[in-house]
Amino acid sequence: MSDRIGFFICHCGINIAYRVRVQEVADYAATFPGVVVSKDYLFMCSDPGQDLIEREIKNQDLTHVVVASCTPRMHEKTFRAACQRAGLNPYRAFHMVCVREHGSWVTESEDEATAKAITLVRAGLMRVTNQIALFPSKFSVNPNTLVVGGGIAGMQAALDIASSGNKVYLVERQPTVGGHMLQYDKTFPTLDCAACIGTPKMVAVGQDKNINLMTNTEVESVSGFVGNFKVTVNQRSRYVKTNCTGCGDCAKVCPVESPNEWDVGTKMRKAIYISFPQAVPVRYAIDKKDRGPCVQNCPAGINIQGFVALIKAGKYQEALNVIMEKMPLPGSLGRICPAPCEGNCRRQEVDSPLAICQLKRFAADQVDWDTLPVPEIEKKSETEKVAIIGAGPAGLTAAYFLAKKGYHPTIFESAPFAGGMLRAGIPDYRLPPAVLEQEINYIKKLGVDIQLNVSIGKDRPVAGLLQEGFKAVFLGVGAQSSMKLKIENEDAEGVMHGIDYLGLLNRRQPVKTGKKVAVVGGGDVAIDSAREALRQGASAVKILYRRSREEMPASKHEIQAAEEEGIQIELLVAPVAVLTQDGKVSGLRCLKMELGEPDASGRRRPVPVEGSEFEVECDMIIPAIGQRINAGFLEGTEGIKLTRWGTIVADPVTYQTTFPGIFAGGDMFTGPSIAVEAVAAGQQAAISIEKYLLGEDLAENRPARPTGNKWKAIPKKIESRSRAKMPILPVAERVNNYNEVELGFTEEQARAEAARCVDCGGCCECKLCVEACQAGAVDHEMTDKQETIDVGSIIIATGFDPMNPVKMTQYGYGKYRNVFTNIEFERLSNATGPTAGKLLKRDLKDPMKFTEAPKSVAILHCIGSRDKNYHEYCSRTCCMYALKYAHLLKDKCGHDTEVYNFYIDMRCFGKGYEEFYKKVQAEGVKMIRGKAGSITEDENGILTVKGEDTLSGRLIEVPVEMVILCTAMEPRPDAPEVMRKFGIGIGQDGFFQEQHPKLAPISTPTSGVFLAGACQGPKDIPDTVAQAKGAAAEALALTSAGQVEIPPMISSIDSDICVGCQLCIGLCAYSAIEFNRYAGISEVNSAICKGCGSCSGICPSGAAKVRHFTDKQIFAEIDGLLLSQGA
Amino acid sequence: MSEFEPQIVAFFCNWCTFTAADLAGTSRLSYPPNLKIIRVMCTGMVDPKFVIKAFLNGADGVLIGGCWPGDCHYINGNLKARRRVANLTEVLKQYGIGEDRFWLRWIAASEGTMLQEVATEMTEKLKQLGPGPLRNLGQMAI
Repeated sequence: MSDRIGFFICHCGINIAYRVRVQEVADYAATFPGVVVSKDYLFMCSDPGQDLIEREIKNQDLTHVVVASCTPRMHEKTFRAACQRAGLNPYRAFHMVCVREHGSWVTESEDEATAKAITLVRAGLMRVTNQIALFPSKFSVNPNTLVVGGGIAGMQAALDIASSGNKVYLVERQPTVGGHMLQYDKTFPTLDCAACIGTPKMVAVGQDKNINLMTNTEVESVSGFVGNFKVTVNQRSRYVKTNCTGCGDCAKVCPVESPNEWDVGTKMRKAIYISFPQAVPVRYAIDKKDRGPCVQNCPAGINIQGFVALIKAGKYQEALNVIMEKMPLPGSLGRICPAPCEGNCRRQEVDSPLAICQLKRFAADQVDWDTLPVPEIEKKSETEKVAIIGAGPAGLTAAYFLAKKGYHPTIFESAPFAGGMLRAGIPDYRLPPAVLEQEINYIKKLGVDIQLNVSIGKDRPVAGLLQEGFKAVFLGVGAQSSMKLKIENEDAEGVMHGIDYLGLLNRRQPVKTGKKVAVVGGGDVAIDSAREALRQGASAVKILYRRSREEMPASKHEIQAAEEEGIQIELLVAPVAVLTQDGKVSGLRCLKMELGEPDASGRRRPVPVEGSEFEVECDMIIPAIGQRINAGFLEGTEGIKLTRWGTIVADPVTYQTTFPGIFAGGDMFTGPSIAVEAVAAGQQAAISIEKYLLGEDLAENRPARPTGNKWKAIPKKIESRSRAKMPILPVAERVNNYNEVELGFTEEQARAEAARCVDCGGCCECKLCVEACQAGAVDHEMTDKQETIDVGSIIIATGFDPMNPVKMTQYGYGKYRNVFTNIEFERLSNATGPTAGKLLKRDLKDPMKFTEAPKSVAILHCIGSRDKNYHEYCSRTCCMYALKYAHLLKDKCGHDTEVYNFYIDMRCFGKGYEEFYKKVQAEGVKMIRGKAGSITEDENGILTVKGEDTLSGRLIEVPVEMVILCTAMEPRPDAPEVMRKFGIGIGQDGFFQEQHPKLAPISTPTSGVFLAGACQGPKDIPDTVAQAKGAAAEALALTSAGQVEIPPMISSIDSDICVGCQLCIGLCAYSAIEFNRYAGISEVNSAICKGCGSCSGICPSGAAKVRHFTDKQIFAEIDGLLLSQGA
Repeated sequence: MSEFEPQIVAFFCNWCTFTAADLAGTSRLSYPPNLKIIRVMCTGMVDPKFVIKAFLNGADGVLIGGCWPGDCHYINGNLKARRRVANLTEVLKQYGIGEDRFWLRWIAASEGTMLQEVATEMTEKLKQLGPGPLRNLGQMAI
């Protein structure tokens, strides 16, 4: 049958006809080959218009129909249906040409518009005869619905759907449902309280068996299509289980405070919190971020934020417990640790890092170690013995943790005392032996046996201990030997290496200290030796260091203390020879140095200055340039390897040496390092040893080190406070004795210092809440949960954000204490807010304190709305809530309170709104027509609002005590991300775009995804609820239809043409193309294909085509458009 | 002699730029009638053949309009179009069709104004350039 085309052009009233001479177009079409009927009509989409088409199809036996009218996005469906009713396959028979949106409305001249219409019509006429019949496929609809957002829109939609008996997943990002409406106090115009009408909805949502409420949850990804969506949601862990009773005992003991988001920062909450008392679910949540940089940087992984928060709260015993979870020597390390934790402390962004180390010491100093309770340990059998060589920090720590696990560690120590370098290498004025002693005694109480004066090595080899019945051995012997200067006469009388010197003094053995002492080196040992020499009676002590002061590895405060005590430091000096007289030291020949290129350590290498030799007069020389390991204890043991630097070879994770069952850590593994590194090694080795004894894999299931940098934001307005200064003994009272120089913080100092912590991790993991919770509901180990849910339709009800007016500096928000935003004012007025519902001014000094009711208030409308600089749109709610505020102020603060409304226009359009306006006006509220221009504050906190009264044409200044800014409703900042996830659109205002502004206010370009509430545009509560109910109806309509038709415009691959190159497979974003190995061709899975045409665009052989957009069809259209060109 | 009127064939994706053209219409933002739109579902389906065919048929310019990167209704069809256009541009240059005549623009559904600007700018540009080099080749089948 030859083609018989019918052409129909619509006037669209005058919308098309005013520019396009429709008769002329119809006349042109009539001359086109194959066109047997060509007609124009006033409204083609109307029933008579459609009837006309159907009638002509039947009467004229039409095979094809082309309609020229509005955009196909509007009426393509309408006309396809008409063709179908008349018995044609609409995909084959029908094509629509847009002459309104792309024609009459965008073309200025009638001639041009008509010519353009003719060209477009010609293309359509040429295309239509190339179309083929297609048949949409049908899919069943999953009856479940996903509602995204638990504000009033989301709750309402969920409840409506649930009431029909269908299942709803309600996903809410915050820990509670409710949304903005529940933050408000009263609602206009009826003044019923938001909680009174809102909380019943919340409770219903929480209890309805058809609603699966998922709070703290966000949608990760969406796949599938209308009726058959697969949605992956991520439920962020709240660290509190469902058996939480909401009693709040946990929050009472929590030491960490943050501004409460629900109260927009007007009130504090704890790290374990509930947004507001009526929250649903009534289940506390813990605000936990990544662990702070201090915790991440501490080699021992001490929960620093935890103990600091506990010190702040005055809970010293608890603070100590937190430290002792990771490290048994808090008093000792609290005195001598160089504190790598402080290096990245974020408090530096405000002023200076927290004095973490000194706080640790403070905690240790607050308890009586003799009566410190010993935990109950379930001891293992006597045969579970572990030998530990060396009672230094590594060995003591390993023993401590093993003993706590019930094992029986024995420490063998060659010295007559325990403590290792802490005791032998650190002078008593820095670390009093009693402090170390009490910590070692405590370790002993846990069941650690320490055997002093026992040497392991030649006579009793390490490996032999395993035969003696010890099941594992830990080596922690440290680095006890000194590095030599390697210069002339180094063995002369009067030369004594720093470590040896300190060791002898700490052993209380006689040492002859010279009168004039030269110390060589710039580390802690050099400083300690110099200060010791001073205390031993030297009259002049000089430190010689070969680099500059910046490069000195010693602690800065130690260097400072040494200089205060009168020790001279000579920089850029290196010794070349020891000068002697009668075999005794008489001086040191030195060279001056200068700094050259950086060396491997990154420090600039000292280079000798030629001819700069000079002599330093002295009778004693103490070289302190480094230590090394003495491997003598390994005598008699085969199979333990050493590196070429003489350190022991061990696994960096498990600390096992090359000899199974023998572990090592501390300086002998790392080379000379700091004590806390040795503690970390002991702690990790203890974990390995337990795994070894249990026969487990040593490397698996070890506690992970915390990482990440998603920390709690530092408040912008934080007050700078200097770091606490350690009280010290005056120089005169310390140089002649061994009294401890640093005295420790006072309680007041310590708590104030601890309060400087910026709580990087949110929750500090002190776990006080775990103990406080009688239901046992707190679980700090909880992890995020991902879940995939199947739904047929999706309702997006993600709401809005109030604009932050801080950028509008003319209003001084954030600077003037008594300039409030609308939401802040709502929280003030709300009974669960910071003032329990009283409308009070802020204290001028403390923003968290509220004082008295204002006597005069200005309410500024349109802040950020109807403003070209911010948002051109009207936020639609401000006029009404401003009136509500005016009423509340009069009601709560007394009728003599002056209230001024600065408005541009009053928009009181809803039911009962105008009446409310009249009522509030009658209460004596002053209405000033004109937008306020600026606010200034005087020293008494009185705010002067300047503006123009446009009715009288005068500039006015109104002094008030409080200002409320009615800020714009804004799209959520992550709206673009949500848009992409759900495949919907965003309008120019940034809100989600509905399918049609009037007739499809709920639908989106993705069928099955609907909009509800303020995410689609500013709305008040009645409109929001109405739209939510509409969205529920849309979803239910889909459910009740039971099946959906999927447009047939998807890809197909011609199996006769495909060469099996598989280019298309890599391009398909939906993995809808599979390779058929037997046939050697690629095939489209039509259930998955969306019809994007990525495959057809690339297919080199032309086998892949998108139905309805084939080469033939598009070519015909191009031909039609360009027919008049060329030949 | 009347002024030279260039012919522009525009392939617009259904979700962004075609919708932007609808919005330009609803907002009555007029632009030169030289630009004629062919609706495709996604810029990713614009086969280089379509572009070549348009030029061979005498088009003076071809405009491809799609969603901004990241906003594609089909995940990433626009990115495939971008690569394809880059390659095709090089090929077309060898036949005397410079990149001034072959444009790819991202125009979101809400950017009716931008559509108006692009259509106007491209028409102006082509008026300066004069007729396309293939205009007089006549219609060829490929």
